[in-house]
Amino acid sequence: MFPLKDTVMGASTFFASALPHDVCGSNGLPLTPNSIKILGRFQILKTITHPRLCQYVDITRGKHERLVVAAEHCEKSLEDLLRERKPVSSSRILCIAYEVLQGLQYMNKHGMVHRALSPCNILLDRKGHVKLAKFGLYHMTAQGVDVDFPIGYPSYLAPEVIAQGIGKPNDHTQCEKPLPSGPKSDVWSLGVILFELCMGRKLFQSLEIAERLKFILMLGCVDDIVTVLAEEHGCLDIIKDLSENIIALLKKCLTFQPSKRPTPEELLHDSLFSEVSSLYPPFHKPAGLFSSSPRCANLTLPEDISQLCKDEDNDFLAERSIEEVYYLWCLAGGDLEKELVNKEIIRSKPPVCTLPNFLLEDGESFGQGRDRSSLLDDTTVTLSLCQLRNRLKDVGGEAFYPLLEDDQPALPHSNSGNELSAAATLPLIIRERDTEYQLNRIVLFDRLLKAYPYKKNQIWKEARVDIPPLLRGITWAALLGVEGAIEAKYDAIDKDTPIPTDRQIEVDIPRCHQYDELLSSPEGHAKFRRVLKAWVVSHPNLVLLCFCLCHCIVFLILSALAYACMSAFIPKYLYNFFLKDNSHVIQEYLTVFSQMIAFHDPELSNHLNEIGFIPDVSAKDVFPLHKIFHLWDTLLLGNSSFPFCIGVAILQQLRDRLLANGFNECILLFSDLPEIDIERCVRESINLFRWTPKSATYRQYAQPPRQAPDSNGARSSMSSFAADYQEAPRSDLSRDSINLDDLKAEVSPRISAEDLIDLCELTGPSHSKTPVKKTKPSKPKLLVVDIRNSEDFNRGHISGSINVPFTSAFTPEGDLIQCPATATLQSFKGRVVVIVGNAVKNTAAFAAHLVKNKYPRVCILDGGINKIKPTGLLTVPSPQI
Amino acid sequence: MKPNKGKPFTRARDYVYKFSAGNEHLVLTVPLKFPVQENISHLHGRLMVLHNLPCFIENDLKQSLSKFVEEETIKDYDREAEAALEAVKSGKVDINQLADTWAKAYRETTLEHAKPEETSWDEDFADVYHDLIHSPASEMLLNLEHNYFVSISELISERDVELKKLRERQGAEMDKVMRELGKSLTDQDVNSLAAQHFESQQDLENKWTNELKQTTAIQKQEYQEWVIKLHQDLKNPNNSSVSDEIKVQPSQLRESVEGNGRIYEEQRLLEESFTIHLGAQLKTMHNLRLLRADMLDFCKHKRNQRSGVKLHRLQTAMSLYSTSLCGMVLLVDNRISSYSGIKRDFATVCQECTDFHFPGIQEQLEIVQKVVLKARAQRSSKTKRHHENKISGNEDKLKNIERNQSNILPGEFYITRHSNLSEIHVAFHLCVDDNVRSVSVTARDPAIMGLRNILKVCCTHDITTISIPLLLVHEMSEEMTIPWCLKRAELVFKCVKGFMMEMASWDGGISRTVQFLVPQTISEEMFYQLSNMLPQIFRVSSTLTLTSKH
Repeated sequence: MFPLKDTVMGASTFFASALPHDVCGSNGLPLTPNSIKILGRFQILKTITHPRLCQYVDITRGKHERLVVAAEHCEKSLEDLLRERKPVSSSRILCIAYEVLQGLQYMNKHGMVHRALSPCNILLDRKGHVKLAKFGLYHMTAQGVDVDFPIGYPSYLAPEVIAQGIGKPNDHTQCEKPLPSGPKSDVWSLGVILFELCMGRKLFQSLEIAERLKFILMLGCVDDIVTVLAEEHGCLDIIKDLSENIIALLKKCLTFQPSKRPTPEELLHDSLFSEVSSLYPPFHKPAGLFSSSPRCANLTLPEDISQLCKDEDNDFLAERSIEEVYYLWCLAGGDLEKELVNKEIIRSKPPVCTLPNFLLEDGESFGQGRDRSSLLDDTTVTLSLCQLRNRLKDVGGEAFYPLLEDDQPALPHSNSGNELSAAATLPLIIRERDTEYQLNRIVLFDRLLKAYPYKKNQIWKEARVDIPPLLRGITWAALLGVEGAIEAKYDAIDKDTPIPTDRQIEVDIPRCHQYDELLSSPEGHAKFRRVLKAWVVSHPNLVLLCFCLCHCIVFLILSALAYACMSAFIPKYLYNFFLKDNSHVIQEYLTVFSQMIAFHDPELSNHLNEIGFIPDVSAKDVFPLHKIFHLWDTLLLGNSSFPFCIGVAILQQLRDRLLANGFNECILLFSDLPEIDIERCVRESINLFRWTPKSATYRQYAQPPRQAPDSNGARSSMSSFAADYQEAPRSDLSRDSINLDDLKAEVSPRISAEDLIDLCELTGPSHSKTPVKKTKPSKPKLLVVDIRNSEDFNRGHISGSINVPFTSAFTPEGDLIQCPATATLQSFKGRVVVIVGNAVKNTAAFAAHLVKNKYPRVCILDGGINKIKPTGLLTVPSPQI
Repeated sequence: MKPNKGKPFTRARDYVYKFSAGNEHLVLTVPLKFPVQENISHLHGRLMVLHNLPCFIENDLKQSLSKFVEEETIKDYDREAEAALEAVKSGKVDINQLADTWAKAYRETTLEHAKPEETSWDEDFADVYHDLIHSPASEMLLNLEHNYFVSISELISERDVELKKLRERQGAEMDKVMRELGKSLTDQDVNSLAAQHFESQQDLENKWTNELKQTTAIQKQEYQEWVIKLHQDLKNPNNSSVSDEIKVQPSQLRESVEGNGRIYEEQRLLEESFTIHLGAQLKTMHNLRLLRADMLDFCKHKRNQRSGVKLHRLQTAMSLYSTSLCGMVLLVDNRISSYSGIKRDFATVCQECTDFHFPGIQEQLEIVQKVVLKARAQRSSKTKRHHENKISGNEDKLKNIERNQSNILPGEFYITRHSNLSEIHVAFHLCVDDNVRSVSVTARDPAIMGLRNILKVCCTHDITTISIPLLLVHEMSEEMTIPWCLKRAELVFKCVKGFMMEMASWDGGISRTVQFLVPQTISEEMFYQLSNMLPQIFRVSSTLTLTSKH
């Protein structure tokens, strides 16, 4: 998007037409409100960027189907030029015509028609260049179907538009949709506007609307429309003085027969504009982050670099893109509807005055006059940036141009730096509402993302602090390592051919997060379907699960890159989850999950086992979207076992209530998941993650390590927090895969010998390849419990371990027998306890007993003592002990 | 799935693309439907995959495909446009009518072309009042309103006393006559005396009605003038004569009211409140209340409990022109009048106090009657038109309507607005028939559908608090057994829940209060049974447990 520069932001409002009473769609569901349909169509408009078009920024839905649109705006328009009542010079007219045509042509390329061209919608920026406003109105209202008012202004309607008539919006039963207008009707409107500019006065001002329209239709019978119009308005002499070029242009535009009238495209390449066209360099859409062409292809640096710095005008805010400025404006307390109310564009009558008198059984109401406040007032109100500028007046220029090279400072050291670092410690929700903080984050991320993938490391680092909501979509894509020309790849996938999963998609889409306005619009559905199909088609061996949808949604709402993110996300976190026969994968997943619960919260686990309730990790689907986002911010940073931790953290929050309830209540509890403090959840899950030995969450069916680990520095420098267990080099000490049934039988997770060594900080000659991270405060201190009989123990054991022989450890009731060793065990309650033994069965049983006795963080050494033996780490105690 | 109305011109055309690979000349033919709905680059990608096309034609194909689509689309537009122009030229479409439709559309929907607003007295007054009631002057306003209220109620009590006296006198006379019956007087004499009594009673009543009407009219006019004047005074505070005038009054008022004893006895109210969550994923919170009370309790001004009353009044007055109104549902029969049953009681309550903002109840009912007649006329002309096309079979209903045009049918309702009731701004008069007493009321019953429409109006007109008779009756009777009550309550709870969920999709989930009322005569035990049922049907929001940080 272009920087705001000297334009401003404007807001305008209109009503979508209300739906008829009690009409259902063909699928039996209630109809989508028109305002939501418009909202869905609006999304594409945000991506249309051209110097001759006013950038659309946002749309909001108000009460009673009101829509408020925020877009780029300029204070001046051709209307002001006309108000001077002086003919405009020919060269100026040519330029204006050319610029308008440029805008129109670009729109047409995207399949849009303006239809509402008028002097007040052709804005002029400070330099006098044209910007077309309201260009998307016709598109977003589905060619005027979704609104009650006619689109366009009577004086500028093309004859064919008038002839095609308008539908009858008042009678819903037989609403005829008017035929859509083509690009050529805009050319007529342009012709009328140019004619007015030539004359320096408005046309048809003396005529009633009906007369005006009739007059335009009658123009078909005359030979020379331009002359007739001039005659009618008594300015033949001005026409005579016009240059030939202009006359020819007017004649071309004001051709009555649409087939003979040129399109904007044709007119643009007409020889008329041969002098003007050279002034305008062709427009290149700036390449996005994931486009196929190099981003610097059209980059031209001035001869003298210092010119770039010459700009003395210190308005840094104006250099930010309009989207960012709007976002910050909202944060600084901007409210579209309030602005419009202040300017009296929205005037509402008290509702008690507009009540109907009588309603029939079918809901038709009588006795209420037409509410005047629902009439269209298409004035655009300028949004004042004063408040925002005021807020940001202390923010120095450094904040807008942070240096990225030095890795040290996360936040710029400006005069507000202290304040910012103070802000960084506040809760996330407050940080997300803080204008200065967000400005800094947005600028920083914007710059980092521009340097993606070169700056990938730093993106990771900053993302761990937080992700600015505005740039969340693209940041996620960067975190997931999306690269390459994704759009082209996406285009190339066949998304329309019917496939067997269509039916499922069709059924599932209307069930997911329908409260979200965007996702419930037809446009949203279509997009969603395309992405899902693209994913299904390109991964033929996988099947779709309903809950995969919910993952997809999260991406969809944020970015156009949904497909790419999906493709990257699924393999990382849910590898093989969607295989055709996925039962064993899920089984394993769930078993590991319940082991994790046992590891962290034995009491809860006991209870859950008692009532036979297996919480599903996917329970997080039921959160509302806005809560999910934060969870995902962290999720993407973690490795594939991180979801377990989140699951456990959620359960811990619900702990008290789960403990108090039986099976049925638990199910209910989950089906309307109560308030969960997501931030606390995130914090706790990170904490849990730290306590979890990496190999505990080992899964046989997790994604195998990448064959060619990319050693570009990005991966290796990530902390152990992000690195996956599976990606570490395998050794004899790593965990072996075990049978699913065995796995299910065990209560506590297994950890690998490698981890044990790592955790105990044992040093020995033979395991130098294990990367030992010393003196990390977060490393859990642990206790090794050896449950072999004492002879074996004396023959050699892990240093620091205690011996509690399995056979003599527990009373028949399952309680621990008191002895010095068990006392130690008790004093170590709360730390990680690793059970080491010979036979797997015994160790597992021992662990189960410990869990029964509410020992948290119990795990089993995979492979038992035999695994350790070859490392030579076993020590023989001195005889006196 | 796609609506095919309004898209009369779908044409299929073949896109032909020729290319050569080596010596082979190949032709690709794609049938396309115009207007093309799908994205061209998606289509292009699909073609490449589907036909396994070589990559060297990729860009060329894309260009030629989009060019083809563009050109054909333009041609379609041109053809349609010219057909329309031709139709106008040849006179197939009347040019005048066409222009008029356009002009009408502009006039009715755009501010620019709409007729300039005629300033209506109502709205100006509404603005002024809304300003005043939210200013320090609200105290004065309320006092004044209360003064008027007191004088009206004095008038009413005077009337009642006089009527009572008359009746007593007449009774005594009648007794005397009866004693003489058969002796000196005949039946005829008694009859004529009765007629005479009745007449004089009527005369007296009429006299009082007229007097009340007059007083009300005078009060209303005075009040409105005074409000406007006060508003002007407050704007330019130099000559604040009115505000002085009014400042004296509160003390007077207090004295005058103190004398009035308790008129309405406080009955033991049973009440239970719930906070519920609706919606599967995004939840909206609403308040529900179950009350054992009379509907009209929300309307009556209680003269005792001074301070509480005032707060209530202030609350009601302040929200009158706001976007959080209070409404209630009254169940009425099929006549629009105020002669019998709850209708009469309601009208009596309404007349106890002058309505300074809206027309009186009788006037409003007259307006409703007119509107109903108009609606019927409109409807029947439409159905007739409909019948000409296809003979459909709901003639029963049609006949029913024709029998008495001014009556309303079950499920239909009319709305009256009030500023003078204690907690209510809007009353929905929902028509029900005897069917609601039966056991067999289903969710498809007209009364239930009426409830739905009422909630819909609440939605469109910002009525955020609504009181509903839970059992769809105002009085209990013999046949309403415990199972009947439970069944009915369950039905209404469930239906209202459904409607509230629907509402959430209409207005984006504004928090509302729904009050369910059960008749006073219901037993306490029954009430608690009902209040146990409510949380089973609605999902009561789970309490937020605060725990200390670990």
